[in-house]
Amino acid sequence: MTDTAQLSRRPSVLRMADGGIHFDGVKAVDGVTLEVRSGEVLGLIGPNGSGKTSTLNLLSGMLRATSGRIHLDDDDLTRSSMRQRVQRGVVRTFQSGRVFGRLTVAENVEAAALGAGSRRGPARRLRDEILDELNLGAVADTRADSLTAGRIRTTAIARALAAKPRFLLLDEPAAGQNETEAVELITSIRGFARRRDCGVLLVEHDMSVVMGTCDRLHVLDSGRTVVEGEPATVRKDPRVIEIYFGKRH
Amino acid sequence: MKKLGSVTGVLQTPVLLIALVLLAALVGVGGDVTVARVATLAIVSVVFVTGLSIFSGSSGVMSFGHVAFMAVGAYTTAYLTIPVNLKAALFTNLPGWLSWLVDAHASFLVALLVSGVAAAVLGVVTSPIVARLSGLQSGIATLALLLIVYNVLNSWTDVTRGSSSMIGIPRNTTIWLAFAVAAGSIAAAWAYRRSRSGLQLQASREDYWAAQASGIAVGRHRALSWILSAFVCGLAGSLYAGYLTSFNVNSFFLTATFAFIVMIVLGGYLSLSGAVIGALVVSGLQELLRRLQDGQFTGGSALPAGVADLILAAVLLLTLIKAPLGLMGVRELVLPRRRRRAAPDDDATEAVTPAAEAPTQAARGA
Ligand SMILES: Nc1ncnc2c1ncn2[C@@H]1O[C@H](COP(=O)(O)OP(=O)(O)OP(=O)(O)O)[C@@H](O)[C@H]1O
Ligand SMILES: [Mg+2]
Repeated sequence: MTDTAQLSRRPSVLRMADGGIHFDGVKAVDGVTLEVRSGEVLGLIGPNGSGKTSTLNLLSGMLRATSGRIHLDDDDLTRSSMRQRVQRGVVRTFQSGRVFGRLTVAENVEAAALGAGSRRGPARRLRDEILDELNLGAVADTRADSLTAGRIRTTAIARALAAKPRFLLLDEPAAGQNETEAVELITSIRGFARRRDCGVLLVEHDMSVVMGTCDRLHVLDSGRTVVEGEPATVRKDPRVIEIYFGKRH
Repeated sequence: MKKLGSVTGVLQTPVLLIALVLLAALVGVGGDVTVARVATLAIVSVVFVTGLSIFSGSSGVMSFGHVAFMAVGAYTTAYLTIPVNLKAALFTNLPGWLSWLVDAHASFLVALLVSGVAAAVLGVVTSPIVARLSGLQSGIATLALLLIVYNVLNSWTDVTRGSSSMIGIPRNTTIWLAFAVAAGSIAAAWAYRRSRSGLQLQASREDYWAAQASGIAVGRHRALSWILSAFVCGLAGSLYAGYLTSFNVNSFFLTATFAFIVMIVLGGYLSLSGAVIGALVVSGLQELLRRLQDGQFTGGSALPAGVADLILAAVLLLTLIKAPLGLMGVRELVLPRRRRRAAPDDDATEAVTPAAEAPTQAARGA
């Protein structure tokens, strides 16, 4: 709670300016500029292979940008490692979950709390709070690799929250769920983020899911920005209609 | 109530494992000279494999170089416990800056501790390597460590006696001392596993990148467990020297490495219980095979040399194929107990949800 109070004094911005990454000639991300502000949910959408995960890899430090810069407020994170960014509060999840399979759900969350720098006692308290908040209490002592797909997703989010994020970068947290479930999940993620005054970058490929749940949308295609703005505006943009609905006609 | 259950649960495993080693010690005390020898060396192996498991079990990275730490422990004990006048005769060509080795002397318990520390120092020196490397690269690097230490010991004749045996080490290792060290090592290994560092290292074992993404300093925790495990393996080397009273550099090379690998793989390298059980079972098996090879079960006609090793290799192969994670997998030894009342409910929800989710996966793809 003290964290929230401290952070809310000064709204933060995580910003990528003109970021790019090339894989032997393939420009997976090509001059993308975007920013996430604390407290908001920015939806990053685009068709398969449009560079969403790569953008998230650049922001989280899993990949080093071949061009561009990344800032958290006034601090240059461009050269920081993924670990350093986690310590600064930039925390990601993975498209495939990647929970610690043979550890229990509780251990997954505790390990992440310790990794982000909590001492043992506080790490355990934080773990118990998060397990409660995400309704994972019943499976706390279950091995993560024997969970249902839904609970694996929730465990991955719980693990990210344990790192006390100021910015959460979520790679398709609702993949594999139907539209109603996806909207429900993202709405609850919104709630967790709000309570922590945390900014969220949410990767999702389904337009209808992000419409009602994100504050702003950033649309990618072939590694480039198509448009950014309010969901209602973005949805009417002819280029977005072309990408999302054009090929069906 | 849950707290109480988890505390007794937490201490159950080390207590059971120490009880198993105690059983081996009692068999040794009650048996003839050969049985006592087999039991003592089995317990020394427990110390070594427990040490190895501190690193490999939590990091998931196999080491083929830990016998080097055992060697350092054994040589340190030799230098510190061989009587000074015998040392003067054994090491006539010591370089000047090492001449103090002749006069150095310590009680066995001090020598034991210093042996562990000496091995840990080698652990500190080599820790940057394991902190940086993973998988195959790490395995090869640990093997290189073994080769380097072996070659130094084998070639630096003035200091190490080269390929001649170290002799005249007083016999200080009793079966009870070995048991005490084994119990301490098991307790330390368990404490490490449950520690902050141990938990984070196990997380990195499950998924290296997800651990990095959780802020876990994987390299630092690998290095820490490597150094602790070097210390314990140094103790094993000291006990070994103090039991056999003489040894040769070849005791700390590929044959020993192979035997320890069989132990930890058969038991299950991810589990401390697997390491301890593997060490005891394979030690017993080795003795049976030795007797078989000597002809004790074939009416006195000895089998060709190497049959015992061949069978041991076959056991390793069979384990790798049939149960790659060994007898224990990632499980630890616990007493059988009735399941909690809430358990069936958990199972029910877990069983229902995937079925309910299956069609939705098809609905939205991944
Ligand atoms: N490590 C890599 N090496 C080579 N090419 C890569 C690598 N990672 C991504 N790419 C390529 O970069 C492009 C963008 O991939 P990315 O994974 O960022 O897309 P995405 O928008 O997340 O797609 P999806 O919706 O399928 O998850 C693709 O053409 C992909 O093949
Ligand atoms: Mg992706």
